[in-house]
Amino acid sequence: MRSLLDALDLYRRLIGMQIRSELAYRTSFVLGILAQGLNNLAEFATLAMILSRFEGIGGWSLREVAFLYGMVSAAFGLMDLIFSAFDPGTFGLDVRRGTFDRLLLRPTNVTLQVLGSKFLLRRLGRIGQGIAILAVAAPRVSWTPLKVLYLPFVVISIVLFFGALFIIGSTITFWTVESVEAINILTYGGTEMMSYPMHIYGRGLRRFFTYIVPAIFMNYYPALYFLDMPDPLGSPPYMAFLAPLAGIGMMAVALAFWNYGIRHYASTGS
Amino acid sequence: MTTHDAIITVADLHKHFKVYKHHRGPGSALRNLFTRAHHWVRAVDGITFEIQRGELVGYIGPNGAGKSTTIKMLTGLLVPTGGELHVAGRVPWRERKAHVAQIGAVFGQRTTLWWDLPTIESLELLRYIYKVPQARFRRNLDDFRALLELDPFLDTPVRSLSLGQRMRADLCAALLHDPPLLFLDEPTIGLDVVAKERIRQFIQHINADRGTTVILTTHDLSDVERLCRRVMIIDHGHLLFDGRLEALRERFGGQRELVVDMAEAPREVAVEGAEVVAREGLRVTYRFHGGEVSAAELIGRLSRRYPIRDLQVREPEIADTVRRIYEERLLEQ
Amino acid sequence: MRLFWRLIRQSFRLQLTYRAANLAGLATNFFFGLLRAAVLTALYGARTSVAGLTLQDAVTFTGLSQATIACLSFFGWYEVADSVYTGEIAADMLKPMGYFSYWLARDLGRAGASFLMRAVTMMLAYALVFDIVAPRTAGHWVLLGLSLLLSVVVSFCWRFLVNLGAFWTPEARGLIRLAFGASWFMSGFLMPLRLFPDWFVRICNLTPFPAMVNTVIEVYLGVLSGPALLRALLGQVFWIAILTALAQLILRAGVRHLVIQGG
Repeated sequence: MRSLLDALDLYRRLIGMQIRSELAYRTSFVLGILAQGLNNLAEFATLAMILSRFEGIGGWSLREVAFLYGMVSAAFGLMDLIFSAFDPGTFGLDVRRGTFDRLLLRPTNVTLQVLGSKFLLRRLGRIGQGIAILAVAAPRVSWTPLKVLYLPFVVISIVLFFGALFIIGSTITFWTVESVEAINILTYGGTEMMSYPMHIYGRGLRRFFTYIVPAIFMNYYPALYFLDMPDPLGSPPYMAFLAPLAGIGMMAVALAFWNYGIRHYASTGS
Repeated sequence: MTTHDAIITVADLHKHFKVYKHHRGPGSALRNLFTRAHHWVRAVDGITFEIQRGELVGYIGPNGAGKSTTIKMLTGLLVPTGGELHVAGRVPWRERKAHVAQIGAVFGQRTTLWWDLPTIESLELLRYIYKVPQARFRRNLDDFRALLELDPFLDTPVRSLSLGQRMRADLCAALLHDPPLLFLDEPTIGLDVVAKERIRQFIQHINADRGTTVILTTHDLSDVERLCRRVMIIDHGHLLFDGRLEALRERFGGQRELVVDMAEAPREVAVEGAEVVAREGLRVTYRFHGGEVSAAELIGRLSRRYPIRDLQVREPEIADTVRRIYEERLLEQ
Repeated sequence: MRLFWRLIRQSFRLQLTYRAANLAGLATNFFFGLLRAAVLTALYGARTSVAGLTLQDAVTFTGLSQATIACLSFFGWYEVADSVYTGEIAADMLKPMGYFSYWLARDLGRAGASFLMRAVTMMLAYALVFDIVAPRTAGHWVLLGLSLLLSVVVSFCWRFLVNLGAFWTPEARGLIRLAFGASWFMSGFLMPLRLFPDWFVRICNLTPFPAMVNTVIEVYLGVLSGPALLRALLGQVFWIAILTALAQLILRAGVRHLVIQGG
């Protein structure tokens, strides 16, 4: 328990440094929040205009799509806020430049240090925009106490899911930087894909995002539950509650891989 | 033979890297996909040495010699392929956290501090990370503030510091937790003469005053001349030399010069045991090998033969000596 | 003039060397293309044609918009701003040609290489997977080539213009990103502009963005003909003229500002 408190205290101080650093550049910070928020809202506005012309997509109305869209957006923003240090693009650079070594020379947990080395407060823009879009969907949901309770769990699961992808991508950069783009497909491509109902995609894509990268459990199945919609693919209703399992499972795999990566890094250098 | 005061013990240390070769030429992209030739690079190929507490050692070598690989193993960043390595009684990479709490490190090329915040904030966070008691922190900080003249920029963001200021801040940061062992990698690189001297004085002070053992890696040999009594030279993964600076000069200094001002210009100026390298009016420069003929002997021979008015013996520069060692691999006999 | 061509060739050759990055980029483009094709297919449902675009047109569109990304450095181009911040601009300004032309030449070379490596390959891959639309007559191809060239120049003028912010402030990157955001939204990149409500399209047409992406895509799809086609191409030329004039004006002011500040 003591070491957990110590770890939290260290994390708090590390991100304190990051937040103060970010706020030191006041104009960039404000611009950053505005830019992100506006960008994403603009994207949703595009979607809204299109959906109104086509009267929905795959049988889903705008509000229903907004649930998917807002959920993914807010959760991804939250993930990016916390895990941005593990963005494979920047982490790969850090390893190549030797700034990662710095962390190995300090007498504290390396993973915690990496986590605390970036905390992009400006991601609040995206989180806010995601919540706003969820608000568009909210009236469509017949809220029950269980649903209200479950919602934050879904968000956290998505955060863990994308965080795990980031961590896996960063670990790969210990070996090669060339895979970063592939991970970007899963993260940025993944968020876009998850913003629409899964049944519009071909079987191959669906299978991939069920068995290999369990994205379908994170957003789609829970959405069916929240919106009281049946699955056109006929899956049982308990699928909606597998999100936390999938999220934790992926994070566990990612961290195990990460620890292996650090051990490998120490034996081969860069 | 290990003495009680040895803070670093290295025995037959090896580090080998697997380097992959990419195929080139026609069809190479496809071939690279299936096979990759590799060969082994022996970055550190069996070195043995011991460093006692309180020593100030220079660890030098050309680029690619195995210097940074050794340092990485000593600091715990790299796991050796073979041999034994103990620092302050520990195996560095096995007990990483305990080990790094006992060392300080300054890298000339990059900083350990947080870029966008005032220097003092970095120092305070490091105090927390290294678990330095407040009283000791205050004492050390006051000490270093005076020695390194930190006050003018303690509140300045690190990104706004000049190179010299940043170096001094990094030195302070590295020593706040009173490590018995300090690694310095290019601490004076890019600095002007005055700043260099300030850093050197500081290094000398903490070594003499606090007994901090210092390992100095540098390409600036005047750093070594100024600070180190002991020098280790590494090249191609082997330790070419490990001993006192004077010994280095004596054994390999080899070429010394004798500049003689003649009283009058003789027809010829040849002398046994030395070669004439320059002649300008009445001034003749001889070059001789310290190992073959002593200066005294040469002076004797010259004065018996020629009318000498004045003379001067020139010692070789350590830079030249070391260069000769690299180039001629004198020790590989 | 010869220097201009030499720069184009140099930049072209340089861009060709970035093979690994291009393969990865292509994979990303392809994935997003597939995604958007699925979305549009689901949107169309049973409809055969919407706003003059068939489903086949729409699917082709998804490949085309991805194909143009690399050519137009669509997701971000900070090279001029970076050169101001690193001080490289001093050397660039001493070159024996206009600063604007210097960068234009470099961008044309880069765009040319990107066209071959990313755009052509993208559409070829698309042709394998989908039943896509393609120009049938030689005349059509020529018009397409012309429109594409105009697109690249419009895009360049815009990118150059926003990068000039670096002459005034060290935090121009944020502003540039904001500007790029606007271009994604209003260029007909995410969805064909025709599918949007008229009022929105009218607003977009007040900006140079449709001239970068939407016009060349519509030329490719052959949905423009006669006077509409002419108007679209002239529109591209119009934006090139305006943006170039603005760029030259602001560049001159910027240089003056920089010199006075001693950046």
